[in-house]
Amino acid sequence: MASESNGAIVRVRGVHKFFRRGSERVDVLQDLTLDVPEGQYLALMGPSGSGKTTLLNLIAGLDRPSEGEVWVGDALISQMSEAQLARWRTRNIGFIFQFYHLMPVLSAYENVELPLLLLGLSRAERRRQVMTALELVGLADRIHHRPGQLSGGQQQRVGIARAIVTDPTLIVADEPTGDLDARSADEILKLLEELRQSLRKTILLVTHDPRAAERADRILHLHKGQLVERTQ
Amino acid sequence: MVWKLVATAIAVVGALLAINRVPLKYTLRHLTVRWKTTLLTALAFTLVIGVLVVMLAFVNGMRRMTEGTGLRENVLVLSDGATDESFSNLNPGDMAEIESLPEVQRDPATGLPLASRETYLIVNQPLPNAPAKGPQRRFLQTRGIEQPLLAAKVHGVELLPGGSWFSEAGVQEMPDGGPPAIQAVLGEGVARELAADRTPEQRAAARTPHRLDVGETFRVGDRTWVVTGIMKSSGSTFGSEIWAKQSLIGPLFGKSGYTTLLLRAADADAAQKLKDFLTNDYAKVAVNARIEREHYAEMSETSQQFAWAIGFVTVVMAVGGVFGVMNTMFAAISQRIKDIGVLRLLGYARWQILVSFLLESLVIALIGGLLGCALGSLADGVTASSVVTGHSGGGKFVVMELEVDAWVWAVGIFLTLLMGGIGGLAPALSAMRLRPLEALR
Amino acid sequence: MKILGLILKNIRRNPLRSILTALGTMVLVFVVTMVWSVLWLLDMLTAEKQENLKGIVTERWSIPSRMPFSYAAPISEGAARQPGDVRPDDAMTWQFYPAALNPKNLTRDSFIFAIACDPDRLGRIENGKFVTMMDGLESLSPKDQAALLEAVARLKQKRQGIILGYNHLANINRMIGDLRDADISKLIGKRITLFGIGAYKGLDLEFEIVGIFPAGRYDNLGAFHRDYFNNALDQYPQTHGGRKHPMADRNLNLVWIKVPNLAAYNRVSGQIDQAPTFHDPAVKCETASSGMAAFLEPLRDLIWGARYLLAPSCLITLSLVIANAISISVRERRPELAVMKVLGFRPGQILWMVLGESLLLGAGAGLASAALTYGVINYYFDGLRFPIGFLDRFYIPLNALWWGTAIGAVAALVGSFVPAWTARQVKPAEVFAKVA
Repeated sequence: MASESNGAIVRVRGVHKFFRRGSERVDVLQDLTLDVPEGQYLALMGPSGSGKTTLLNLIAGLDRPSEGEVWVGDALISQMSEAQLARWRTRNIGFIFQFYHLMPVLSAYENVELPLLLLGLSRAERRRQVMTALELVGLADRIHHRPGQLSGGQQQRVGIARAIVTDPTLIVADEPTGDLDARSADEILKLLEELRQSLRKTILLVTHDPRAAERADRILHLHKGQLVERTQ
Repeated sequence: MVWKLVATAIAVVGALLAINRVPLKYTLRHLTVRWKTTLLTALAFTLVIGVLVVMLAFVNGMRRMTEGTGLRENVLVLSDGATDESFSNLNPGDMAEIESLPEVQRDPATGLPLASRETYLIVNQPLPNAPAKGPQRRFLQTRGIEQPLLAAKVHGVELLPGGSWFSEAGVQEMPDGGPPAIQAVLGEGVARELAADRTPEQRAAARTPHRLDVGETFRVGDRTWVVTGIMKSSGSTFGSEIWAKQSLIGPLFGKSGYTTLLLRAADADAAQKLKDFLTNDYAKVAVNARIEREHYAEMSETSQQFAWAIGFVTVVMAVGGVFGVMNTMFAAISQRIKDIGVLRLLGYARWQILVSFLLESLVIALIGGLLGCALGSLADGVTASSVVTGHSGGGKFVVMELEVDAWVWAVGIFLTLLMGGIGGLAPALSAMRLRPLEALR
Repeated sequence: MKILGLILKNIRRNPLRSILTALGTMVLVFVVTMVWSVLWLLDMLTAEKQENLKGIVTERWSIPSRMPFSYAAPISEGAARQPGDVRPDDAMTWQFYPAALNPKNLTRDSFIFAIACDPDRLGRIENGKFVTMMDGLESLSPKDQAALLEAVARLKQKRQGIILGYNHLANINRMIGDLRDADISKLIGKRITLFGIGAYKGLDLEFEIVGIFPAGRYDNLGAFHRDYFNNALDQYPQTHGGRKHPMADRNLNLVWIKVPNLAAYNRVSGQIDQAPTFHDPAVKCETASSGMAAFLEPLRDLIWGARYLLAPSCLITLSLVIANAISISVRERRPELAVMKVLGFRPGQILWMVLGESLLLGAGAGLASAALTYGVINYYFDGLRFPIGFLDRFYIPLNALWWGTAIGAVAALVGSFVPAWTARQVKPAEVFAKVA
């Protein structure tokens, strides 16, 4: 049942997702199909409750569809067990959050290092990768600062460094600029673009800020569980 | 058994540390950031373990005392049917017969049998300066000895330097010209006990402030007694005894006849053979013969009773402490739900979250418990009085020293890890079950 | 009253934490209640009474106390010789008879400790009231009292009768093996032989069981007629080659005397001290509580440890557990407390709200624990079995109910004071804080 690899790094096929709220069944996604080519910068937009976060979670291996298949690379992640998904996520997905979600008691360096601790690398190896990531986001001079000592924009950059340090297949960003002022937001978005170009990463951005979306290659709207393309 | 338990506990902690993937500094830093909570929780452990250590030191001291009294080479002979010296009655004729048995060792110097004839008595002494509201008298263990030097050899007892055994007559003239004082040799424990009776002037003048010294006097049975020597005896029940001439104290307290005959055999095996012979085959006199060391070891029954009571109280206190640490850990987890979500997202498995939080609880337990062991250890060497009894009454008032040894520490460490593990398990399980999606909402 | 509503809501907001704290409190209060109950009873037994004193007369110097039976009458009279001397209101002689059901195999189950005494002293009706010299038998239920009087009457009739304790009958039952527990009273009328042990080796006596001490009192004591005992000792030479039994002249162990007040006690005690009759062996007279205190003297360090180390440690641990729980609770609620201040609540009200929450939890859990301990130990277990000498059961006194409440309340107050103060100090401006 392998789907044809047509150069798409993410392939969503016939995906349904519903939730139960008490005795009611809420259909969030209906018969969704989506291909994301490698290296694409894709923005997902839609009002709250439209299911964009749900779709993101399915692609990122955080949840499984009620029906259908999700492929990322060669992996049929919709069929993986929870333990397999955990291992898969470390190597394949980088997350960036609206509220950064850094560990307050760890320094910038230690926060970025966290996913690497699961990969069995030597300390020297880890140091190399963490420093590379932090240099790429421009925070090499603040590696020992704790999140409480950094501005919002700086914290998000740590978040981005953490997201890229494992060299993942896919970067997923959920409202990365939602908590930032206009100038910081701009910086972050520029950084994302630079990284995409220099590292050739596939980026999936969920947002309802049109300015964030306009930097993407492609914009998709989720409306009542269906995807609608709005061309640039 | 305790050693196996504590080794297992430490091994489990070691294993957890080895498989732990969430960085330990994450755990430790959280404990430091919330230092007040960490301190409050750890102090509860400190108290529980500290109290346990002191109580175990007490039981240990009692055990050491009863198990360290008496020699394996000695056979203690009591009259038939008597399980305790207080209830025994031997007459000289019978004792002479037994002493002449070939299995009884002879003193190389004199050729006489190494056998000590003794009368054991518990006597009442009115407390000289008792306040009206307290106890008015105390019980003293006394042992009437026929020949002190012989008895010393058989018992294997020595005097502290500066003292001597009582004379043949057993009395000594007093400088004030009153009736002669009964000479006595005291165990260290009872010397300490009687020192409490000193008047303030006597206390100020005393050379050895914490115990009676050679030359000091006390009154029992309406007679004055004078100390001629102190036995080196801590760690045995003889430390709580007063030894004096049998011919004096027997009549003084209305006990005619002897209670005890102590025989020395060549070695432990020979003693065993002699004991069996006297019990089973010896037809001339019916006696109750036992190995001296075993006779005293049987008295550890009281310490067993105490141990049970202590165990019960400790377990219940520990349960209270466990509830405390559960509170702390549940709160810590609810504070860090987002962190847990991120860790799961990054690929940390459920069980790795469990291990991390379990370790957090164990670290608190270990800090508190080690502090408790250390504080409790201050009780080491403290003297306390207690009672040791065998099966059928006949309690001995003993003074012993609390003893904190490796065994006590092992129990303390095991218990603190157990408390930390149990208290931390339920919260850690709940942390493990969090779904990353919900955690980040 | 609004504050009470808020308090209750707060307790319900995190039921897990409230329950854990309550359970921790209950457990620690339980330990303290048990320890204090034992200490309280020991204190009561060693406290000098002022009226209706009991004195105990024993051999002066050595233990075990062994006096000749010829001392019995003069001591019971308080050694009164001259006109004006005081006589005790009542007296009871005890002659110990340690014995075994099975001469070959002495175990705890086959051991019977019995006393030979004057049966009337166990219980009788005098001037329309029930009188007894035995502690603990003064307040029996009418049914138990009637049963005891009947047993005493039977004992007076049959010289060879014996009244046994509940545990003895259970043991005999086990040995005979054909009666079920409920039929223990059917043992009345059965004959047994007791074989003297220790100092009474060689003195074997036959008895008919005529009664049982009420359950829970004197479970381990047997009582029989002193005439039977004295006769048996007198006749011993006839069956033992003319030799007297070794205990023939030393078989009176103690005499209880009852006096109306301290002054009378001092008179009687002085009379006994000075009487020339008692010189070999000499005797001493002390109050029962003083005797108990002397008996407990070797345990004084243990008692000190229980009173000043164990109980306080539990109390402090309890305060810590509550302090921990409340400070966590306050920390989590800082934003809400700030909102309350913005809305106009005064610092004092916030302080009382937190203190109230902790007090309610602590006092409530403390009372519940004490009540549970009282009920379970006194009724379900029929007392705390902790053998110290003659005492073998401790009951939780009713006082424990307010001890438990007080302990819970005080620990709660002490533990929650600092967090409550912190809560009081929360600034309204914190409502704008981004980070809690």
